[in-house]
Amino acid sequence: MTELVVDVAALVKRFGVFTAVDGLDLRVGRGEVHGFLGPNGAGKSTTIRVLLGLYRATSGRVRVLGHDPARRAAEVTARISYVPGEVTLWPNLTGQEILDAFAGLRGRRDADAERRLADAFALDPRRLVRTYSKGNRQKVVLVAAFAAPTDLLILDEPTSGLDPLMEEVFQQCVRDAVAAGRTVLLSSHILAEVEDLCDTVTIIKDGRLVESGRLADMRHLAASTVTARLPAEQAVMILQQLRQPGVSVDAGIDTVRLAVPRDRVGTVLAVLVDANADDITCTPAGLEDLFLRHYEVAAR
Amino acid sequence: MTLTRLLVRRHRLLLASWPVLLVALCSTMTAYQDTYATEAQRRTAVELAQQNPATTLLYGRLPDPGTPAQLFTWEIGGFVTILAAIMAVLAAVAVTRAVEDDGSLELLRGCGIAPLQPLRSALIILAAMAGVLTTGCAAAIMASGGQVEGMTVAGAAAFGAVVGLTFLIVAAATVALAQVAPTAGQARLLGFTVLGASFAVRAFADTEHVDVLNWVSPLGLRATVEPFTDDRWAALLPALLTSAVLALTAVRLCARREFGTGLIRRHDTSTSRLRVHTTVGLIARLTRSSVLAWTVAVAAIGTLFATMGSGAVEQQRDGEIGGFLGAQLGTGDPAAGYLAYCGTLVGIVVSAFAILSILAARRAEETGLTGLVLATGVRRWTPVAAHAGVTAAASAVILTVTGVISAMITPAVLDGDDIAVRSLGYTIGQWPAITVMTGCATLLVGAVPRLAVLAWLPLLASSVLAMLGDLLGVPEQVQDLGFFGQVPDVAAENPHAGALLLLTTIGAVLILLGTFAVTRRDLRTE
Repeated sequence: MTELVVDVAALVKRFGVFTAVDGLDLRVGRGEVHGFLGPNGAGKSTTIRVLLGLYRATSGRVRVLGHDPARRAAEVTARISYVPGEVTLWPNLTGQEILDAFAGLRGRRDADAERRLADAFALDPRRLVRTYSKGNRQKVVLVAAFAAPTDLLILDEPTSGLDPLMEEVFQQCVRDAVAAGRTVLLSSHILAEVEDLCDTVTIIKDGRLVESGRLADMRHLAASTVTARLPAEQAVMILQQLRQPGVSVDAGIDTVRLAVPRDRVGTVLAVLVDANADDITCTPAGLEDLFLRHYEVAAR
Repeated sequence: MTLTRLLVRRHRLLLASWPVLLVALCSTMTAYQDTYATEAQRRTAVELAQQNPATTLLYGRLPDPGTPAQLFTWEIGGFVTILAAIMAVLAAVAVTRAVEDDGSLELLRGCGIAPLQPLRSALIILAAMAGVLTTGCAAAIMASGGQVEGMTVAGAAAFGAVVGLTFLIVAAATVALAQVAPTAGQARLLGFTVLGASFAVRAFADTEHVDVLNWVSPLGLRATVEPFTDDRWAALLPALLTSAVLALTAVRLCARREFGTGLIRRHDTSTSRLRVHTTVGLIARLTRSSVLAWTVAVAAIGTLFATMGSGAVEQQRDGEIGGFLGAQLGTGDPAAGYLAYCGTLVGIVVSAFAILSILAARRAEETGLTGLVLATGVRRWTPVAAHAGVTAAASAVILTVTGVISAMITPAVLDGDDIAVRSLGYTIGQWPAITVMTGCATLLVGAVPRLAVLAWLPLLASSVLAMLGDLLGVPEQVQDLGFFGQVPDVAAENPHAGALLLLTTIGAVLILLGTFAVTRRDLRTE
C-alpha cells in the first residue's frame, strides 16, 4: 500500500447549523494526481481549508503529510503549495515582489524554477498587481506554487482564469511535479483536465462522499454508450435480442441508443453487426457521464 | 433611482453614523449657558479668547458680545465643520471611486446604466446628505438650545446651513478630484489635502486678520455667515455656486476619463524586489507608505499646534481662560497644560491610525490574503501579532518624530520652563494610551472579527472625555479614566509613570489575548 499524503476519515465541518462537510473520506497516495470533484457548494473548498489548517474540523480524523493540520498547521503548510480559486493579492506590489514575499516567508525558494515558470506562463512580473487580470493573478500564485520546493500541491480550481494555451502549460507543470515525486490534489470543474491528469478521483456532493477510486476502475464500472440505426423490417426482432441483463435500451424512430456494461459491449456489437445495422458508434464511459449522473441525482 | 438606492444601502453605516455624531454634538449648546456662573466671568473669558492667537487659530474669531450661542458656534461649530468636511471626503470617495476600484460598479455598468449615471447618483446622495446635515443640526440646536442666551431660530438655521454647505462644497471638490486621482486611496488623500489647506487658509485669515481669505476656504463659512451674530444668508451663496460648479466640473471630467482610472495615470511597472523573510517584515513593507504619510501629517499638525500656544499660555499666566481651552489647560503650569493638550490631540490622531492599521488585518483575512500567507508555513497567530507589533512600532515612530520636531521648534516660540522636554514627553507619553487602543482592536479582530468596528468605541469615549469632559460636566473621577489624560509632567519633581506602565501592560495583555483568540477560531473568508 502506498503512503498516504492526505488521509481524511469521517470529516465533519459545521458552521453553526449548516453542515458543509458531512462524514467525508479522502485519501491521496504519494505521487498521485487526485481529482476532487463536485458541484458548486459541495464542500470542496471547505475541505481544502481544513487540510490547510485554516478551518478546524468539527469531528473526524485529518492527517496531511503525517500531521494533524489543526494542531501543526505551520509544519504542514511549510510543505504545501496552495492555489486558491479566488486570488486576491496586494494591489500595490509587483508580481515579482509577491513571489519574493511568498518565497521569503517560506524561507526556501528555487529562483531558477521561478524564472522558468514565469516565462512558461508568459507572466510579466514587473507589473503592479492592480494591473493584472484574474488570469494573471492566478499565474503569479501558480508560479509561486510550482516553484516552491514542496511535497504536496493543493490546487482549488486553479485554471478558471487561464486561456487554453496556459491550460496546456499548467497540465505540463502538473506532470513535471508528479515526475519530481510531488503529490497533487486538484479540485476542478474542467472535466477534460481531470480526465487527462488524474489517476484517482473523489466525487462529493452536499458535503458527502459520492464516489472515490481509480479513474480506470470507475470507467470499468460505468456503461459505454452504443448507438446504431436498425433496418426497419427487423427492428423488433433485433431489439428483442438486445434486451440482455444490464443493458438499457432506448429505442427511437429508426435509431437505438444503448447503455451497455463494459463486459457486454462485445456481445451487443456482434448482434448489431449480424443484423446489418448502420452508423454504429461506441463511446466508452467518460468522467462526464459519471459526473453528470451524480449531478442529476443532486437535481432530483 | 435604483442605483442611488443601491449606493445608499451599501454605505448606510457610513452615511448614517456620521450625521448622528454631528447632530449629537449640536445638542450641547446648553452646556455654554452653564459654564460661566456670572455675566462678568463670561465677559472676561470672552475678551481673553478674542485676543488669544491659539484659540483663534483653532476655532476662528469669537464675535462680540460673546453670548453662549456665539461661544457654541465658535467652539463646537469649529469641531462640527471640520468633522463634516472629513465625512464629506470619506463619503464622496466611497460612493464614487471606491465602488469603481472594487469592481462592484462594473457589473452595474453592464446592466444598461448610462456612463454618467453613477456620478449623478453619487452627487444626488451627497446633496441629500448636505440637506440632512443642515436640517439635523438646525433642528438639534432649536430643540436643545431654547433657553440659551443669544439663541435664535434664524441663527440655528444659518448654523445648520453652514454645516451642510461645508459638507457639500468639500464633497463636491473631492468628487471632482476623484475624477483626476489614479485610485480611490489617492482621491481620499487629495480630499484630505484640500481639507488641510482649507484649515490653514482659515487659520491664517483669522490670526492675521485677512478676512477676505475666509471667503475662499470651505471652513471659513462660519466666519462669513456668522450664525447667531449677523446671520448673513447671502454669504452662503458663493459656497452654493462653487459646489454647483465643482459638481459640473466633475461631470465634465468624468466624461473624459476611462472607467476605473483617473485623468492622472499611475505608473504600473517596477523592477524593485522585496527582501522580507518574516511576516513582520512583509506587513511593515505593506504599511510603509501609509506610515510615512501619517508621520508627515501628524508631525506637521502637532508642531503647528504646539507652536501656536504662546498667546494662550501668556494669558493664562495673567489671568484665567475659561471655556473649552481653559478646561484643557487646567490649573497647573500653563505651558505644561498647553503641551499636554497638544499631546492629547496627537494621541487621538495616532490612535485613529493604529485602529485603521489593525482593522486592515481583518480585511486581509476576508480577502484571502491571510490564507495565502498562512499557506507558506506561517503560524496561525503570526499575521495578527505582526499587525499589532508593526502598528505599535509605527505609532512609536510617528510620536517620536512628532515629539522631536516639536521639541526642536516649540521652545523658540513658546515661553516657559523645560518646553523642549515637556513637548517631547507629552507627545511620546501618549504611546501607552495608543497601545491600549491597538490592544482593543487586536482583541476584537482576533476574537470576534464580526464586531471589529467596535474598536472605535474606546477612542471615541476617551476623546469625548479628554476634549469635552469639562464642558459636558462629566465628574472628575470619570474623566480621570480617559486614556489620554494619564501622561505625567516630565519636568515635575518626581513624575508618576505608574498609570503609563499600567496602560502599556493592559495594551500588551489585550494584544496577547487577541493573538491567542485567533488560534481558537476558523479563518474568516468572504
